[in-house]
Amino acid sequence: MSARPTTPGQDPLYETISRVLRHNIRSGRLPEGFVLIEGPIAKLMQTSRAPVQASLRILNAEGLIHRFRGRGYLVGDGATSLTPIRKSLEEFGFEIPDVSRSALAVRGTWQRVYDKVEAEIAACQIFGEFRVIETELANHLGVSRTVARDVLSRLNERGLIRKGATSHWLAGPLTARTLREKFELRSIMEPAALMQASDYIDHAQIMQVSAHIESGKAKNSAQLEDELMRLCLGRTPNSALVEIISNNRLLLSAMDKALSDLGLPVDPVALDQYQTLFELIGSRQIDAAAAYLREHLRVLSFKSVARLKIVALIPESESLPPYLTPVI
Amino acid sequence: MHRLASPPNHKRRVLRVRGTDVTLLEEVRKMAVADLGIDIEHESLDFLTCQHLAAVDPTGYDVYEQCFHNLDIVWYWGALQPIQTDRINQWDHIGDLAKDGGISKYTWQGHGDAPVRKLYVQPDGTLGQQPMPTISMLPTAHNVDSFGFDRRLFGDEGPEGSSWAWLLDRRARGRIALVDEPAIGIFDAALAAEANGDLTFQDIGNMTVDEIDSLMALLETLRQQGFFAGSWVTPDEAEAFIQTDRVSVQSMWSPSYGNLGEMAGIFRESVPREGYRAWHGGASLARHLEGAKLDMAYDYLNWWLTGPAGALMARQGHYMTNSKGVREYLSPEEWGYWYDGDPARCDLKGPDGKIVVRTGQRRPGGAYRERVSRIALWNTVMDEYNYAARSWNRFIRTLGSSTT
Repeated sequence: MSARPTTPGQDPLYETISRVLRHNIRSGRLPEGFVLIEGPIAKLMQTSRAPVQASLRILNAEGLIHRFRGRGYLVGDGATSLTPIRKSLEEFGFEIPDVSRSALAVRGTWQRVYDKVEAEIAACQIFGEFRVIETELANHLGVSRTVARDVLSRLNERGLIRKGATSHWLAGPLTARTLREKFELRSIMEPAALMQASDYIDHAQIMQVSAHIESGKAKNSAQLEDELMRLCLGRTPNSALVEIISNNRLLLSAMDKALSDLGLPVDPVALDQYQTLFELIGSRQIDAAAAYLREHLRVLSFKSVARLKIVALIPESESLPPYLTPVI
Repeated sequence: MHRLASPPNHKRRVLRVRGTDVTLLEEVRKMAVADLGIDIEHESLDFLTCQHLAAVDPTGYDVYEQCFHNLDIVWYWGALQPIQTDRINQWDHIGDLAKDGGISKYTWQGHGDAPVRKLYVQPDGTLGQQPMPTISMLPTAHNVDSFGFDRRLFGDEGPEGSSWAWLLDRRARGRIALVDEPAIGIFDAALAAEANGDLTFQDIGNMTVDEIDSLMALLETLRQQGFFAGSWVTPDEAEAFIQTDRVSVQSMWSPSYGNLGEMAGIFRESVPREGYRAWHGGASLARHLEGAKLDMAYDYLNWWLTGPAGALMARQGHYMTNSKGVREYLSPEEWGYWYDGDPARCDLKGPDGKIVVRTGQRRPGGAYRERVSRIALWNTVMDEYNYAARSWNRFIRTLGSSTT
């Protein structure tokens, strides 16, 4: 596997992460038997999972951590048998040294740039098909073409753009067919993830969400959809599944956001459905919750197709970023 | 000296109606004002602007008068409130075409957005044909459309009628016009392309992206070969194409046939053997209505079904859902011509008093039941409407209008 150029003029990200983990293990902050899982580390360091995976493999080779029968790695060389300690990193005073923190901060800037471009590219697709021009993107962001290319290849990995026949980057169009296909995928994957995640869901948190909906504090379904992902689906031990689910949702949430920016009011029926869903999950009726989630997605798919129709009446946004040109 | 009585000081109540010129006739407004004792403000807009504003400016109107086929856009934008059928006095007299989808269980409902498929408000907030106590839109005026053709070029229709294929017929090259509205014009073109064998659609009422691409590619080829004289937005523009002798065949709506002057005997309404393209209008309630304002809107909706409005609609060729009520307000000659398909026993006037039908004429396609039992498809806002309308609008922009 060839390392992708990421942050220009910096060490590869996995080396920064490895340094931080080594520091915390050698200083004794993370005790022997502590369970290291990619997700929480990635979150704490504000990176994607891939460099964390790479870094854990390196530490494993160095003998600082080792594989065990569960998910992730245990701190220690594995010579003695240990009881796995499943706690959060923060509880053990996990520390990110300043020098690494600034390396990660540069990386964070990159992430923000990426997030902005991702949002723009996802949002334009309801208006049709667009060419993404690499040089214009680099100029627009004030970064090198290498960085622009890196942004584009990440977008490509996440399924937001593709190469056309003439090797140009293309985005969109988001059609009713694309929408339906994405919802079809959702209704296959998300109920499955919910079932798998069942034993890892924190029910106190779910009851809190239910209470929020009940009291009218939960304002829109986008927020509840995020909670569903964060507190339920994202808890499945199958991290590959979680990743496919989030990528599949990208375009859909971009469309929702674009529509609510255009003035789409809150859908009270959808809020009611989330309430039922969280109540089922909270009362551990997981089979029923999975079936209900499927039905909820069916209705949502139908409504989304209908809502997309109004976009036909709206001219392409005049504030399209300069690196996008419509394909006619 | 007598003191003049001061005018009554109470402010008259106002009902704001947003819609299109299909139903927003000045004559209708005046009659409703007289019958209901309220003021009515009409805001008449073109189809697309009307849908758009109804969705994104839901407080700017009280009643929305439009067609079932573009109801989706406004309904799923949350701009309307359900209508309780138990507050509609004539609900039981509304015909089966709107309520059941066809005038008998043996007739084909037609492809696309048959009004019944959007009529009832389902418990999950969607619209469907499972009968429920509330509806999305009160079904009112409706009609079946085809196209108009020049007898000098195509001759008279034989016993089999004409064909939608004529609308893209090589004989009329350079003298063809299409209506600009995407939910309508695209189907005129699609029916023609399928009738002449150029394309086939798996479901013409809900085309796939590939089918839309094929249709648009075909139209672009024909445009480059000089087939089209232009497109029109309002019926006036369609009539202008004919009066200036620039078209031999084009999309046409019913009221235009009465306004052709000297071209009346030459330009005919087709009875296509493939069937008609139908549409169904109606009236909906804005979401913000409540209390006395809501009652007033219900009064207005109920008034639509009492007959006088339907009689005005009939004089421009449109049908009403409560035809029984309409009959009381039409002369037997008018009823005979417009609803029963009889030859006109005298000259008949349109809504504005001008003669639109001459003695002896017979309505093409015949009686109501004959015409509405031959619906090929309904005007439709397809699932891929966003994609289709954008392609269609690009195509239309490359055509001229009747004034250019």
